[in-house]
Amino acid sequence: MSIVRWRPVLHQPPRENPRFPPHELRRSKVLCPIHYRKPFFPASRGLSNSYARKALRIVRAGLAPTPSLADAAETDVLFSETFPLKRTQTVEGKISVRLDPAEGEGSRWRLAVGCNLEGKWVLHWGVTYCDDLGSEWDQPPPEMRPPGSIPIKDYAIETPLKNSSSALKGQILHEVHIDFDSNSPIAAIHFVLKEEETGAWFQHKGRDFKISLKDFIEEENTSSGKQGFDIWIGAFDQISSLLVNAEGSSSKPQEAVGEAKVTKRQNKRIQGFYEEYSLLKEEFVQNFMTVTVRKSDESDKNIVQFDTDMPGDVVVHWGVCRDNGKNWEIPPAPHPPATKIFRRKALQTLLQPKRNGLGNWGLFLLDKGISGVLFVLKLNEYIWLNNMGTDFYIPLTSASSSSIQTCQDSIANEQLTWTEPQDMRHSSNNDETNQAVDHAADTDEIIYEIRNLVTDISSGKGRSTKSKEAQENILQEIEKLAAEAYSIFRSSIPNFVEEYVSDAQYLKPAVKLCPGTGSGFEILCQGFNWESHKSGRWYSELSAKAKELSSLGFTIIWLPPPTESVSPEGYMPKDLYNLNSRYGSKEQLKDLVKRFHEVNIKVLGDAVLNHRCAHYQNQNGIWNIFGGHLNWDDRAIVADDPHFQGRGNKSSGDNFHAAPNIDHSQEFVRNDLKEWLCWLRKEVGYDGWRLDFVRGFWGGYVKDYLEASEPYFAVGEYWDSLSYTYGEMDHNQDAHRQRIIDWINATNGTAGAFDVTTKGILHTALGKCEYWRLSDQKGKPPGVVGWWPSRAVTFIENHDTGSTQGHWRFPSGKEMQGYAYILTHPGTPAVFYDHIFSHHQQEISRLISLRRQKKIHCRSKDNQGREGSVRS
Amino acid sequence: MEVALMGRRAGVVKPELFATRKLGLVESGRTGSRVDRIRFDPATGRGRKGAVKMARSGVRSEMAVREAELNAPKKSTGPVRLFVGLPLDAVSDCNAVNHAKAIAAGLRALKLLGAQGVELPVWWGVAAAGEWSAYLALADMVRDAGLRLRVSLHLHASRRPAFPLPDWVSRLADANPDLLFTDRSGRRRQDCLSLAVDNLPVLDGKTPLQAFEEFFRSFRSAFSDFIGSTITDISVSLGPNGELRYPSFPPSTGSHLFTGVGEFQCYDKYMLADLKRHAEESGNPLWGLSGPHNAPEYDQSPDSGNFFRENGGSWETPYGNFFLSWYSGQLLSHGDRMLSTASKVFGDLPVTLSAKVPLLPWWHDTRSRPAQLTAGFYNTYGRDGYDAVGEMFARNSCAMIIPGMDLLGKEQPHGLRSSPESLLSQIMKACEKHGVRVSGENSSLDGIGVEGFRRIKEILSAENSSVDSFTYHRMGAFFFSPEHWPLFMEFVRSMAQSEMDSDDLPSNKEEKLSLSVDREMQAA
Repeated sequence: MSIVRWRPVLHQPPRENPRFPPHELRRSKVLCPIHYRKPFFPASRGLSNSYARKALRIVRAGLAPTPSLADAAETDVLFSETFPLKRTQTVEGKISVRLDPAEGEGSRWRLAVGCNLEGKWVLHWGVTYCDDLGSEWDQPPPEMRPPGSIPIKDYAIETPLKNSSSALKGQILHEVHIDFDSNSPIAAIHFVLKEEETGAWFQHKGRDFKISLKDFIEEENTSSGKQGFDIWIGAFDQISSLLVNAEGSSSKPQEAVGEAKVTKRQNKRIQGFYEEYSLLKEEFVQNFMTVTVRKSDESDKNIVQFDTDMPGDVVVHWGVCRDNGKNWEIPPAPHPPATKIFRRKALQTLLQPKRNGLGNWGLFLLDKGISGVLFVLKLNEYIWLNNMGTDFYIPLTSASSSSIQTCQDSIANEQLTWTEPQDMRHSSNNDETNQAVDHAADTDEIIYEIRNLVTDISSGKGRSTKSKEAQENILQEIEKLAAEAYSIFRSSIPNFVEEYVSDAQYLKPAVKLCPGTGSGFEILCQGFNWESHKSGRWYSELSAKAKELSSLGFTIIWLPPPTESVSPEGYMPKDLYNLNSRYGSKEQLKDLVKRFHEVNIKVLGDAVLNHRCAHYQNQNGIWNIFGGHLNWDDRAIVADDPHFQGRGNKSSGDNFHAAPNIDHSQEFVRNDLKEWLCWLRKEVGYDGWRLDFVRGFWGGYVKDYLEASEPYFAVGEYWDSLSYTYGEMDHNQDAHRQRIIDWINATNGTAGAFDVTTKGILHTALGKCEYWRLSDQKGKPPGVVGWWPSRAVTFIENHDTGSTQGHWRFPSGKEMQGYAYILTHPGTPAVFYDHIFSHHQQEISRLISLRRQKKIHCRSKDNQGREGSVRS
Repeated sequence: MEVALMGRRAGVVKPELFATRKLGLVESGRTGSRVDRIRFDPATGRGRKGAVKMARSGVRSEMAVREAELNAPKKSTGPVRLFVGLPLDAVSDCNAVNHAKAIAAGLRALKLLGAQGVELPVWWGVAAAGEWSAYLALADMVRDAGLRLRVSLHLHASRRPAFPLPDWVSRLADANPDLLFTDRSGRRRQDCLSLAVDNLPVLDGKTPLQAFEEFFRSFRSAFSDFIGSTITDISVSLGPNGELRYPSFPPSTGSHLFTGVGEFQCYDKYMLADLKRHAEESGNPLWGLSGPHNAPEYDQSPDSGNFFRENGGSWETPYGNFFLSWYSGQLLSHGDRMLSTASKVFGDLPVTLSAKVPLLPWWHDTRSRPAQLTAGFYNTYGRDGYDAVGEMFARNSCAMIIPGMDLLGKEQPHGLRSSPESLLSQIMKACEKHGVRVSGENSSLDGIGVEGFRRIKEILSAENSSVDSFTYHRMGAFFFSPEHWPLFMEFVRSMAQSEMDSDDLPSNKEEKLSLSVDREMQAA
């Protein structure tokens, strides 16, 4: 339970000097060297940051200093401790973005980004080109880079903002100009702002600022009324998103909390635009609180003195505890003056202002039986201060048992180490409870404030400005919470709707990357199993799942063989032009394809080109005469299979003995097949092919077919056995994958192939836990995916290997490990129908969503998935 | 007493006195514009709520129609309570709290926004064994956040996220698949037990109703500390998808994705036996041999097969009437049995009991309205199938949850002859007639946009609206996403605090301070 509002005190109690004078501003050690340089989306940064803060929590923070025995002169002082109190003040500024045509030159434009707050501002930016599919940034061309720019790796530029000459007197304006040519093929400029001193990043609603140039210019040309540029305003209007709080080393570090309140003031000039974004920066102000415990004259009491230089009202929200459990209790009355009981769980005591006006103080008189005082400070309805994420704790028993105390001290010293966030989550229940209580209290306070605010409105309009501010604050708080919830939900569950939309944009192929491999970001689903023909209406049944499949993140579906077939599963095709099959009618098939296209899924037809069943017997009673539209005779059949007495040439590959194998070496056959494939694409709407049993004929013919039918994606089934020695699988499967690679090569790379090698190795590696198999001699993935990832279609099961046939079933129970492997590796992963519609669905969909989030594609470098490196 | 008097008078007054009622409303509408009057109130005054209840029961006992509004212009002043559904898997199928941190942040955000509370889906499959700790932990969180809770007791299974029926029930259903709803092709529906076995001792000697009652009691005793304080509403699932319906959608899809005509689900052996008996009793034994043979398949057009044919379809024949009466009657009696079981357990508690009725607007603009017929609502052209439903809810003092309040006819896909507005208004009229309170819901997160929110607002602020709460579905990543959250916030704020910054505030202070604090909190 992280509480956003609580601006934790980030400093360690000054242990070395327990008698620290309270009013001296002192540079304490900064305990938080965590810098989030990577621009994550801010909400998650807020989250991880709060983890980081928790990580800083120090066990029994307030306990450390013990009065030394040398202090005997002041025996009445049992304990004294000075806590630094850090709070924030908000400074509001704005970021301005302006797009203008540069003077004089027609196609020159200028983007100006400015900021009116003090600081060392740097624009961290990149561009995307028109033909670029992904969301990745590229570096802008050199002529676009303003002087002083520094390239960051190979994808971004950092340009410092300069004090602008155009600023009015007394105003700060840091600005940077980027000049560019509107004719250049740049689609968009992306940027975030960075404040160097604090290392804080400013994004726009959790995303990069994006200035879409292409749309703009196109829109302009078509003179449509639509707003052309595209700053992503989708996010929390009016409100800040959480941004990183990276801590600098200065004694007065500034903390950037967010850009807030999008002032949607778009001066819609004919060309260009101007927009401002509010920016909230928080500055730390440091104060101190000294707590001293003395023996009272009344022998059974202790006096706890609070002394702070904090101005204004300071309320101590406190309780006591009687054991080491730090359970909050209310001490017995009498309570100090100006004390309220808060929800029967704590006391709230308003400290008295000091006479010199420089702070507040208070004295609490407490029984000796009380072992400690727990407190937090409340400055107003919104600002509460605690001790680095925990309550302040003042031990009262130390005097009576100083030896024990010393002992505890050393323990405490040892414990003054950094604790893993995970551990903190399991910290004692008491902490949790207290936090929960205070948390609820916090909420109530804010609601109380809302109520006051409403009263304000009714009591006089004069104060409406103030209440509006308060209202804004509440809204900001709400937004922060929502952003927090969003980031956690987003990271914990697959978020179909949102991600789908965003990914779909990247997936649209603007240019054809490479024939037959799709966009590179494809995720394939085998949309049937060995039983699917049984209902006789598979097409309709699958149609009902289209949306679901789409929302799961699939981009391609592989449908069963569509033609009339001797076997109900479709792999014994007869009349290639008869598309009524056991899966449904041609019309249903067309509807199904249409349906998938509606949900942005490409459709692969299962093309059985190796063999074809005859309609008629010849005079010898051999089934080798074809009917239907392609009424070939025995000349279309390979000669080397005695069963079918073909009169063609010898087969160019292996033979499939259950049906006449087609002789692809003959031009009329090839022409007929090309025509058929083109017809299928046009008639049915298929986007590509899954090619059955391509071992049966030369890959060069496949190249022919694919060049004629121009599929968006094609994959061949080249399945033969891996190498085994004495029944044990060899570690080196290079020969196996080489055969597949050879076939792909023969197709000239127009088709990919199922990565049978990877499946085989996964069988053994996962089945026997022999994970060393997952790396080849060169440390690469050992399957096809290690050699030619963009052509490898990884899978763990299909209708032959699994389903009700089970010819080569993936080790049972290891399916998810298999999917974890293929979905986090390069190549194009394929998910089997039986798995996606099983209890594995949720896990698989998470993996898919992870793959999409991390933008893993078929050409990704191996490891990318595991490193999980993302850049904005 | 006054209520009873009014009610009696109401018995005399004819519904034609519509104008009078309106007049009354106008008078009571002193709070200014309509929008001002309707709002989400995080703290409904107990007194006011009580008054509403009384008025309602008065009307019901007198069988009066609409005159309740004469003395209780409740809707014009009573704010609509807003709930937000927690994720369906807030408690996972392993009975552990999911997304706790996110939910905690979400709860605070909702509290600040002024929502009344959240809806917690409770799955029979998860908690059947009486292990409530995860749900209790969530209830604690909700209480600590100062929010209210409406609990949905889901007795059905869910496909995604996957929440199957309790293990032992699934095992029994595997052994005897006829316990499950079954379609014409013999496919079993894993969603839900067939309503025909309600009173048969098929669950290890217990009837499903007994099992449900046990589950209700287990819930009641586990949550006794919360009921009436944190828990203000309990809804029970009456069938597939938690709704009073047959699972007429295809086995492979969820109900909300399906917009076809659907199929009748009367093919498990218990349903068939009952149909047979019923046919024999009515003197047409041949009619009881099976369901309609000429009904189309799930996805087919209503015109394929003769059953739903627009003119002269079998639905209009005596056979059609026989079958549809039986089919819808079975559903109604099932609903009645379930609700009376629920009121037996929860009736004495200070909570609102509710149950959900589906909104099936597809094909509503045809004469046969097949989607409603296959789901079990005999609501054809000229026959009001929802009147009996409203009456059944009234009989059990149960509020009706109606989903799909965000649906707009013009946004529905073409060719579905869909008319969500008119169907919704029909159902709401039935509720109004029988004095049944309505609890609204949106259909799904996917499509809701500015227009959907506008539509919801329109319904909630309608003058004669009987909607007393609205549950928005559902918390999750999309809900809090930058695409959606601002819309939602805008929606809530426009309902709750439209007057906050305006100059033309209504004069009556009490009325406008809708965004006030809980009474308890003030006391604290």
